Amino acid sequence: MRLLKKIYLGFIYFFLYAPIIMLIMYSVNNTRYSLIWQGFSLRWYHELFVDSGLWAAFFHSVWLGLSAAFISTTLGLLTCIQLFFTRRKKRRFFYALLVLLIVIPDLVFGIASLLFFNFSGIPLGFVSLLIAHITFCLPFVIYTINSRIHTLDPNLYFSALDLGASRVRALTQILLPLLWPAIFSALLLAFTLSFDDVIISYFIAGPDYNILPLTIYSLVRAGVTPELNALCTITFLISMVLVIIANKLKRVSP
Amino acid sequence: MKRLIALMILSLMAHESIAKAVVNVYAWGGEIPNRVIHEFEKKSGIHVHFSTYDSNETLYTKLKAVRDGLYDVILPSSYYIERMVQQDMLQPLDHSQLSNLHNLDSNFIHNDFDDENKYSVPLLWGATGIFYNQSLVRDPPISWSNLWETPLKNQLLLLDDSREIFSIALMRLGYSPNDTTPQHIEQAYQQLLKLIPNVKLFSSEGIQSILIDEDASAGVVWNGDAFKAHAENKSIKYLYPKEGFVLWVDALAIPNKAPHPKEAYAFINFLLRAGVAKQIGIIQGHAITNAAGKALLPLAIRHNPMLYPPKDTMEKGSFQHYPGEETVALLNAYWQQLKLAF
Repeated sequence: MRLLKKIYLGFIYFFLYAPIIMLIMYSVNNTRYSLIWQGFSLRWYHELFVDSGLWAAFFHSVWLGLSAAFISTTLGLLTCIQLFFTRRKKRRFFYALLVLLIVIPDLVFGIASLLFFNFSGIPLGFVSLLIAHITFCLPFVIYTINSRIHTLDPNLYFSALDLGASRVRALTQILLPLLWPAIFSALLLAFTLSFDDVIISYFIAGPDYNILPLTIYSLVRAGVTPELNALCTITFLISMVLVIIANKLKRVSP
Repeated sequence: MKRLIALMILSLMAHESIAKAVVNVYAWGGEIPNRVIHEFEKKSGIHVHFSTYDSNETLYTKLKAVRDGLYDVILPSSYYIERMVQQDMLQPLDHSQLSNLHNLDSNFIHNDFDDENKYSVPLLWGATGIFYNQSLVRDPPISWSNLWETPLKNQLLLLDDSREIFSIALMRLGYSPNDTTPQHIEQAYQQLLKLIPNVKLFSSEGIQSILIDEDASAGVVWNGDAFKAHAENKSIKYLYPKEGFVLWVDALAIPNKAPHPKEAYAFINFLLRAGVAKQIGIIQGHAITNAAGKALLPLAIRHNPMLYPPKDTMEKGSFQHYPGEETVALLNAYWQQLKLAF
């Protein structure tokens, strides 16, 4: 039985990680198109650093992801605190409205945003992408922070007020430290969601702000080049580092 | 924190508006090399906003969906040029602003999808033909009808593209690949059903690796992909079937509502330079439409019959035309049925 459990776990992790390991292997494979192992080489990493087109898209995506993550986390956090102090019935209603946004298909959201931007005259480009990304990240942020905030006792906050703390002080010294792990995971989640979104961005990307997922998507027909595999490997390593940092921070915080 | 972010966004937007000349280019992924774009930026001082798409449909929907002009230069395929001209989506080109236009090969000036380059400037072209792996196939298929023969059972790679594959069946039946008669398309469908047992896979992506790794021993592919595969696996051969074949052309055009037409002309004219066309030809491994640029290519590429077939072969090729919405719908319906039979 124990062996069976181990085999089962092994299978799960194999299915999860095998494609990524393949990707890393192809990024150091010494051949342009072939998928058969032809020897180790770092030349694709070298070419990647020379090819600034992919890098420009990469940094555009990182910048968009960071902006969307910070803004949506800030907005989401304030919303959660507001909801925390609202009466129960109202809260449920608002919460249901948010969950609806989580289950709405990206396709619908993409078309809706395109219509909205057409209608409002906001030009397609960085600003439209940012607005849309904040919008679709927000429900996830609120969902994440909300599940943490509900484990808290509201009286903690009110007793701080009773003891003479100002509202701001009660917020920064009581609520925020308690919510910190949730805020951080919301931030990471929002960044990831924004960084790899294709469907919504596909509709609302403009000419002057080219992002990585759309670039990758358009290259598939011409043949996925190993430079792309190298870039994906680097991206994977960065996210791994982020997750490790997040875990460390979680342990440090109360 | 929020103030800081707002400031950063503002500075970013300000940067965009201060910058003088820009051109928004929207092109097929993997057709215009980054090096060429950087060179253009350096020489002209015009900043290029470059983004890419993976299908004509993507380009078309993007242009249709947005009211105001987004892009200055686009790169649709020949039959989409026709479709866009019909729907009045493209600007007639002012040839006086394209001084390098005479560099084009006359085959692509007098083409039947846009004669005399009224709306479009061809950039790259290719053909759909037959590839085979000479170490795996005993009798090389030299005509489309050879693909139907039994020794090739479960061997073929076909492009995952309804137009291309129906063209083959139409040519085998002796019709034009651009035939839109519903009865003829029905006959072509019946032919293709008989081809299914020979098909191993449908794919339009990662063709080079399928060829190089010998996952299919023969089939229907674009010449550029066969050329690249041949560089890494010498058993890959490619030929132009005697019944005729279909040519694709990707051509530069300026949409109706282009916000920076002057820069768009500068960009197109730059790509028409012989030296630039040569670079595009070498880096992307497709055939170029630029006669002056072709003359500068290394002999091994210029005289390669896969990429640049001799004149008498070229005459059998026909450009892909836009067959109209009804035929596209019909083809797609048959294509779905065909895939179900697979």
